Amino acid sequence: MSNVSNAPIRAYPFPDNLKQLLITRHAINIKIRSFFTDAVYVEVEAPCRVKCPGIDPYIDAIPAGNGYYLATSPELQMKRLMALGIPRIYQITHAFRSNEHGSRHNSEFALLEWYRTGTDYWGIMDETEQLLLYLMVGDSDDQDITLIHGVPFQRMCVDELFSERAGWEPSKAWDEDRYFLDWVNKIDPYLATMPVIFIYDFPAPLSSLSKLKDTDHLVCERFELFIRGLEIANAFTELTDPLEQEARFKKALRKRRMMKKEEYTIDEKFLDALKGGIPACSGLALGIDRLIMALYGYSEIGMVQAFPETRL
Amino acid sequence: MIETSDIRKNLKLQIDGDPWIVVDFQFVKPGKGQAFTRTKIKNLITGNVIERTYRSGEKLEEAYIEEHEMAYLYAQGDAFHFMNNQTYEQIEMTAEQVGDAKSYLTENMTVEVLYFNNKPIGITLPNFVELQIVHTEPAVKGDTVSGATKTAEVSTGFKVQVPVFISNSEWIVIDTRTGGYVERVKR
Repeated sequence: MSNVSNAPIRAYPFPDNLKQLLITRHAINIKIRSFFTDAVYVEVEAPCRVKCPGIDPYIDAIPAGNGYYLATSPELQMKRLMALGIPRIYQITHAFRSNEHGSRHNSEFALLEWYRTGTDYWGIMDETEQLLLYLMVGDSDDQDITLIHGVPFQRMCVDELFSERAGWEPSKAWDEDRYFLDWVNKIDPYLATMPVIFIYDFPAPLSSLSKLKDTDHLVCERFELFIRGLEIANAFTELTDPLEQEARFKKALRKRRMMKKEEYTIDEKFLDALKGGIPACSGLALGIDRLIMALYGYSEIGMVQAFPETRL
Repeated sequence: MIETSDIRKNLKLQIDGDPWIVVDFQFVKPGKGQAFTRTKIKNLITGNVIERTYRSGEKLEEAYIEEHEMAYLYAQGDAFHFMNNQTYEQIEMTAEQVGDAKSYLTENMTVEVLYFNNKPIGITLPNFVELQIVHTEPAVKGDTVSGATKTAEVSTGFKVQVPVFISNSEWIVIDTRTGGYVERVKR
């Protein structure tokens, strides 16, 4: 005789559909791993706790005690691993960001990140499209199948997007406050009408860790993926010039100081790795929670996580 | 003063001298960039709903709305008369100020009158009110389809869909938030 009851157990306060959702997430994670395994990527493990979080004016790290922080992204460590000479690496991990809460934000979120040599951001864009199609096909009846009709997915550069929707070209007349306000008020509502779209060539001041475009230094080799207006992924042709990288960290630090935000220590080990030589590579970070939201039509990030902050 | 991180549903804000209530809000942060809170707010006087975007860290002014328990007395033309249950002070509100609530007001009903800057701006009804049917057609014999409804007019002139078994001069409960029939009551 078995002691196991078949009666459903009501695990308050979990929503009724959580069990199905976890199975869906499991299936997506397996498919992601199989996609990257087939493409001969090596799965790596960057730490969740770091000493020097990335330095970005608008990304704040959560202190983890003893001078450590929860990683806002595995980027710096993964790029250091690229110096080992493995041409393709990926990982599924969690990232943490302070003060980000809302229907599309949770301070802790699941992240897929990958890097590869031998291609630039265009190659990553093609690969992202292939991954999306792989995840979209035949997985489940619950998926928003209308997304797939847009293949090949639309691609549009930031200046074109802004010319059409806001009447100016940000890369040629940079105004940060105007850019972000227009993004929220004019670009976001437009992107919300698009099934799947890649937005590329961001203005150089938003280059973060990406390489500037050789043919036009006013823009950088960066793209983002949006599904129905939800920002899903961000990718770069990676900046591998140590001097330029150091200058950008310092600039970001000055900006944080001006905004009276905590000033993080520059990751010298990362700069040393760049000086020692990290091969030319490109990479992408993708929010898995948001991807699930987009593919399965959930409006709140808390609906696709077993343990959003509100359930801790 | 409060900050954008304090924004939540039903927060009341004072903007350009008017009281507004937050109907909906969303934290937005485009690609590694500045953060904003996008809000949908409703003007508590005009009922007008607009969208407004605040930059994170921006200061906002809270609107203090007072509520006074009052009894509805009567309407004369466009003027609705109420009496404060504590002070017995009588006040007058326009049909516009009373808004959709007039569909449910009956004599001596207790409501909350909202005050902003010492002026009445609107009323909050109880969630459920009891009203008497003044006119409805008798049920058609043989119409036993479960869930079948018909139109009934209540004493305030408001029309509501009710089950076919309800007849004239009966009392029913209406949900004032939806305008829907809830149940029949014996009085």
